[in-house]
Amino acid sequence: MSYPDIALGLILLGLSAYLLFGGADFGAGLWHLLARHRRDREVIEHAMGPVWEANHVWLIFVMVMTWTAFPPVFADVMSAHWVPLSLAALGIVARGSAFVFAKAAPSRAYAWVFGISSVLTPYCMGAVAAVIATGGSSWLSPAGAYGGALTTGLCAYLAAVYLTWDGRRLDRADSAERFRACALVSGTVVGLIALPGALTLGVGSPLITASALAGVVSLALLLLRRFLAVRVTAALAVATVLWGAAGLADLDLHAVAAHDAVLQIVLAALGVGTLILVPSMIWLFVLFQRAPERPAA
Amino acid sequence: METFAILADAATLADFAAARQQMAFTLGFHIILASIGIGLPAITLLAEWRALRTGDEVYAELARRWMKAAGVLFAVGAVSGTVLSFEMGTLWPGFMDTYGQVFGAAFAMEGIAFFIEAIFMGIYLYGWDRLPPRTHFLTGIPVVIAGLMSASFVVTVNAWMNNPRGFTLVDGEVTEVDPIAAMLNPNTPVQAAHLILASLMVCGFTVASVYAVALLRDHRRGRPLDPYHRRGFAIPFTLGAICAPLQVLVGDWAVRHVHEHQPIKFAAMEGIEHTGGGQPFKFAIFEIPGALSLMTTFDVNGVLRGLDSFPVGERPPAEVVRIGFELMIAIGVALLALAAWWALAWWRHRKGRRDLPYRPWFLRIAAPAGVAAMVAMEAGWTTTEVGRQPWIVYGVMRTEEAVNPSPGLRFGLYAVLAVYAVLTVATISVLRRMRRRPERAQERPRPREVEVVG
Repeated sequence: MSYPDIALGLILLGLSAYLLFGGADFGAGLWHLLARHRRDREVIEHAMGPVWEANHVWLIFVMVMTWTAFPPVFADVMSAHWVPLSLAALGIVARGSAFVFAKAAPSRAYAWVFGISSVLTPYCMGAVAAVIATGGSSWLSPAGAYGGALTTGLCAYLAAVYLTWDGRRLDRADSAERFRACALVSGTVVGLIALPGALTLGVGSPLITASALAGVVSLALLLLRRFLAVRVTAALAVATVLWGAAGLADLDLHAVAAHDAVLQIVLAALGVGTLILVPSMIWLFVLFQRAPERPAA
Repeated sequence: METFAILADAATLADFAAARQQMAFTLGFHIILASIGIGLPAITLLAEWRALRTGDEVYAELARRWMKAAGVLFAVGAVSGTVLSFEMGTLWPGFMDTYGQVFGAAFAMEGIAFFIEAIFMGIYLYGWDRLPPRTHFLTGIPVVIAGLMSASFVVTVNAWMNNPRGFTLVDGEVTEVDPIAAMLNPNTPVQAAHLILASLMVCGFTVASVYAVALLRDHRRGRPLDPYHRRGFAIPFTLGAICAPLQVLVGDWAVRHVHEHQPIKFAAMEGIEHTGGGQPFKFAIFEIPGALSLMTTFDVNGVLRGLDSFPVGERPPAEVVRIGFELMIAIGVALLALAAWWALAWWRHRKGRRDLPYRPWFLRIAAPAGVAAMVAMEAGWTTTEVGRQPWIVYGVMRTEEAVNPSPGLRFGLYAVLAVYAVLTVATISVLRRMRRRPERAQERPRPREVEVVG
């Protein structure tokens, strides 16, 4: 396996992580906007707490890896799609700051900004991804609209699935039930959008089968209220959509890859970084799942 | 991809100007937040350390406040930083296309450092009630170190743009790359030191400003000075005051460095029109004959190159560069004087003769120091960035070769200006609201999850 292959693998891994973790944050923003019950919103806010900043760096990782390993691809994609990507960037600004502001000093306006930008951002990114995958031209084309809607739906579905477990973990059975209903509905809808599209565009059949199977199993697990297990199958169902799109794009990256000297150093840095990052990240997650042990006075 | 070079001619001048303004604006915005992101965890830890040592509740309260503010500002800094990585591609694809791989490794390392910073920021913020006090204090240290490293890695890229090396160019294609040589270019140490000190000064003086205003209010209302306000002023102001003289030394190093490596930028900064010996030192309306030559070459008659020794097409907008430079120097000197005042007061205080200068006339001068430090930082940034023009990579690639050829970039600028204006107002209003809410530890409500889980 050559260095460009490894770099591409890492980019895909980063994209998957961004979709599975960051995407769920976007989806949570949508449910936050739609939630009728205060208790549900509290579960969402609690679940997103410290994680969003960490999730966010997946995107930066993907961008940095792309411009380092495949500079012309980054330059082409970013310049050709600067409008939706700039909108996505501004959406990230609006969302990230509205979330943290709402926490520090609550206000209705922040909740609205947070919800709307949580939909805008994945829509724009999904539209760009679909245009790249299908070799289209504009994010406003039908392919772009399809990709945008699908990505937003995937994010919403993932978030609803994750939140069922968060609701149960926080002893809010009623919230968990409502998120379960959201997950069932959004899962079915997204499945019905994804499958015909994948078949029309000619996505590799093993991935379609895997995605469809994982999706059906997820719905069954939701019906059975297996809220922890469904996290895994739902993530698989969603990630396979991304991989299918990546396979569809079929970019010839070797011709535009950076020199090996560059990739060697980047990979070495990532290796060292991982040794520090993984344990600290686990610590953060463990810490957050734990209630305060040192109550204030 | 040479298509960029051809298409770049098609982009209108208005769009090109808009791209530059957008980059300057978003970077100028981010640089303030990044400074506070570096400095605020540091002063938070200083306060927490004092709290651990003395058991004084005032220090603990300050640390808790600053930590919360750091959390909010870190989040805004993280998103404004993300915008910059988008803009690298949406505004400057020609630059990324050719040179992305040369400095990419630095950004990869920056990303890792930032990730570590974010994770430990999370641990520090959420560990306040979940970790033993000493452990909690220790988890703050990686935040500071990773912040410094992340800033240094980013600076290597700007240093490289000013002093490019570590690659071979054949027909506009990068054929050989040595990323380490690119990172360790001669500009890196001086630029990193200059920026880190500037960050600590901006943060120190800005936080101190808030408490200077609070102390002035105490004075006006005729109440005794709140110990919370006194310490809230003393810790960050001392940090800024320690950095101020160091910054003057590093600044001198930086100017000599520019003289050696970018003589045209030096000529613009110092306003040297014509090459010649015995150059006077000019500042605003003052002029000392021969002084600039003496300071730079250690010889009153030393020859310095003027703008006229460079082709017209390679000269930066000299007025902007010179004004930026003079503004930075003027503010730097004023802050140095303020730092000396504080140091003298501190020394006399230690000898038991006088109290620290929490008098209104000192506080009135100290209160604008935060804004002044920010202005100085932006002015210095303008000096180095505008002084590099018309090059995006000094001597190698012109800025207009790098710009996105798509039409309509100026509308992007308008959108960014609108969003950032709202963001600025919201950030300040949130910080003000956080300040108003009393959060003494003993008054804090029990965290919600206790009700939920237990």
